[in-house]
Amino acid sequence: MEVRMRSLLTFQTSMAARALAKGLCGLRPSRAVSVGYTCAGHQYTTAASIKPPQPQAEDVTEQLVNQSLEKPDFFRVSELISLKELFDARVHLGHKKGCRHRLMEPYLYGSRLDQDIIDLDQTVQHLQQALNFTAHVAYRGGIILFVSRRRQFGHLIENTARDCGEYAHTRYWQGGLLTNANVQYGVGVRLPDLIIFLSTLNNVFQQHVGIRDAAKMNIPTVGLVDSNCNPSLLTYPVPGNDDTPASMELYCRLFKMTINRAKDKRRQMELLQGLSPPSTPSL
Amino acid sequence: MNTSPEVKQTVLLRWSLWNNMAALCKVISRTRFAVRFSPTRVLRSSFSSSEAPGSDPPAPNKPRSGFAAAFDQQSELRREAESSSAGSSVSSLGKDESFASLLRRSPLIQMGPAKDKVVVGRIFHVVQDDLYIDFGVKFHCVCRRPDDGERLQRGTRVRLRLQDMELTSRFLGASTDTTLLEAQAVLLGPVEGKGGPGASEPGLIEPQSQD
Repeated sequence: MEVRMRSLLTFQTSMAARALAKGLCGLRPSRAVSVGYTCAGHQYTTAASIKPPQPQAEDVTEQLVNQSLEKPDFFRVSELISLKELFDARVHLGHKKGCRHRLMEPYLYGSRLDQDIIDLDQTVQHLQQALNFTAHVAYRGGIILFVSRRRQFGHLIENTARDCGEYAHTRYWQGGLLTNANVQYGVGVRLPDLIIFLSTLNNVFQQHVGIRDAAKMNIPTVGLVDSNCNPSLLTYPVPGNDDTPASMELYCRLFKMTINRAKDKRRQMELLQGLSPPSTPSL
Repeated sequence: MNTSPEVKQTVLLRWSLWNNMAALCKVISRTRFAVRFSPTRVLRSSFSSSEAPGSDPPAPNKPRSGFAAAFDQQSELRREAESSSAGSSVSSLGKDESFASLLRRSPLIQMGPAKDKVVVGRIFHVVQDDLYIDFGVKFHCVCRRPDDGERLQRGTRVRLRLQDMELTSRFLGASTDTTLLEAQAVLLGPVEGKGGPGASEPGLIEPQSQD
């Protein structure tokens, strides 16, 4: 059995030595327990032939996750953002001075003829942090929910969510959707691991209820805040224009590319580690 | 003490001007600020400057003042704009430009106040008699279809006279303005002549000169 494992592992190019060591470490505790051991809450009966890949998989998963934390920009999301592109999509345009929210003043570059201009240098930094976080969540297989109550962009957001394999909620938000989920949707409902607000306001210029509820349920949020929005409860606020179709299309494209890139990276790393059945590793 | 050599210069220059150009050159070469310059330039400078011409000696490669300087600057700006638009070098120029310079040169800032400015917009949505027109700023405007506007369909470029970029107003008892999320403009008619410069534009629509 060990010989077969070793021959499998020699197919891998760079991970061979490390995977071999992991394999040996994984085999040692299983040899100690011959019948009936628990792994992630499931009971398994082991015959001698079934050498479990589960403890090995757990170690490898942890190793994958730790690898993604080594570099600050592991997914290279800073390549996706350019200031010129943001400028051409009119992301820097804010509302009039009278609509300004007091807490958005640090993010504003200034005011021109009563129209607020959002500082794109800050937007680039905030957007990079938000995209990086989104990529890490997608890398670990988290559920991402796109939320917006702007009817003009509902279709666009739903298409974006479908294209990257995540979820969207652009309709009426029921009061207990997050806070009362066990009662409304059954026991053991998995809540989203990240909520992306592409517009933080309702149509009546109240803040979306989901921001407060996500903060209550300890769900991190990424939110696009315009100059009349409240950025305080969001984990990763991104100051920018949320009223123009050009800027919304840009944001949707950026989030979609980030999530797809993170998922592809995860698949690639899993193939390199040999978690899936041995095929030609993608490099 | 400082003024006396300059006063002496002025007197000398003015005296020599009336006499001879060769004598003028000799006088100038003896002063403290002996710089080579052509006699014609000396004449021009001494006519233009009334006090202490010697303190600011013009040289052939000195940047010009007045109309000449403005002309140089404008032609350079125009050359830069042409090269950036023709070459479509977004990658080379766009990365170096800061947000401040991008903003300063954007058509929105260059336009100034929006009242009564003529811009070109594009219809992106039609609902029976209402035309939703986007003209390159934050919001679109909604105009009623004119009586002879059968050819105004989705994608048509039209001329607008702007009234307001965003319709906002502070109502009694409110803490912030209420906004309609729309701009206001008067529809002047379709753009005459097909195939204008930059007809297919996903970006900003240039404002026209005021009529």
